[in-house]
Amino acid sequence: MDRYHWILLFHMAGAFMVVGGATLAGIFNVAALRRERPSEIVVLFRLTRIAVASITVGMVVALVFGLWLVADLDFVKWSNTWVIVALILWVLANALGGAGGKRDKSARELAEQLAAQGDQPSQELRARLRDPVSLALSWGSGVIVIVILVLMVWKPGH
Amino acid sequence: MLAILRPDSWNFPLFLHVFGAMAVTGATAAAFVAALGAQRWPWLRVVVARTLFFATFPAWLLMRLGGQWIDSKENIPGDPGWLGVGFIVGDLGFVLLIVTMILGAVSVRRPQRNWPNGAVAVLTGVYFVALIVAMVAMTGKPGS
Repeated sequence: MDRYHWILLFHMAGAFMVVGGATLAGIFNVAALRRERPSEIVVLFRLTRIAVASITVGMVVALVFGLWLVADLDFVKWSNTWVIVALILWVLANALGGAGGKRDKSARELAEQLAAQGDQPSQELRARLRDPVSLALSWGSGVIVIVILVLMVWKPGH
Repeated sequence: MLAILRPDSWNFPLFLHVFGAMAVTGATAAAFVAALGAQRWPWLRVVVARTLFFATFPAWLLMRLGGQWIDSKENIPGDPGWLGVGFIVGDLGFVLLIVTMILGAVSVRRPQRNWPNGAVAVLTGVYFVALIVAMVAMTGKPGS
C-alpha cells in the first residue's frame, strides 16, 4: 500500500468509528425511550459509553488524517469550499454532541438515583429522556456527521 | 476524504455504499454488545432482536445494493483481491444475518434457552470483525 492509501485507511477508520458509534448510540437511545424501569435505562446508558468513546476517538482520528490528506494531495487545497465547510461542521457536530451528552448525563444520574430507591417508573425520568432539546442536540450532531460524509463524497465546488 | 476525484454519477451509489457500511458496522456492534449484556440482563434480548431486524439488516441492504450499483458503474478491470474480500463479506453477511435474526427471535420467544443468545453474540462478533477486515481491504486496496 502506498502512502496515500495508508493515510486514507486511517481517515476512513476514524469515520467508521464516528458513524458506527453514532449508530450504536442511536440504537441504545431509542431502546432507552421504550423502557420504563430506571435500572434498565441505567444499563442502556452504560452501554452507550462504548459509543461515546468510539465517537470521541473517531472524531480526532478522522480530523488528523483528513488534514494530513489535504496537506499531502496536490489536487486538494486548504481553500476548497468543501474542506472549509467540513471543518466548520466538524466543530459544530462536536459542540452539539457535547451539549447533548451533558444533558444525557443528568438523565443518567437521575436514573441511577431512582434505581437505587425502589426502581419504580418515573414521570420525571421519562420527561428527561424525551427532552426535545437533548434529542435535537444529540440527533442533530449525528445528522451533521452525515452531511460531512456527503461533502467528502461529492466535494462540491471542487 | 473518500478516494480520488471521480465522475459525478458515481457519487450517490458510493455514498449509499459507504454510509451503509458504516451503519451496518455500528448496528452489528450494537447487537453484539447488547447480546453480551443479555447474558446478565435477559430483557436486552428484545433490544438485540429489534436491532438486528430494524437496523443491522436494513443497513446491510444499503451497503450491499450500493456496492453492486457502484461496481456496475466503475467496471473495475480484473478481479482484485480487495474487491473479492468485499463481495465475500457482503454475501456471506446475508446468510449470517438471516441466521442471526432467527436466533435472536428464538432467544426472545424461548427465554428459558440461553444458547440462542450466546450464538447471536458469537455470530455478531465474528461479522463485526469481518466488516472491519472488509473496510481495511476496500479502503487500502492492498496489492492494487
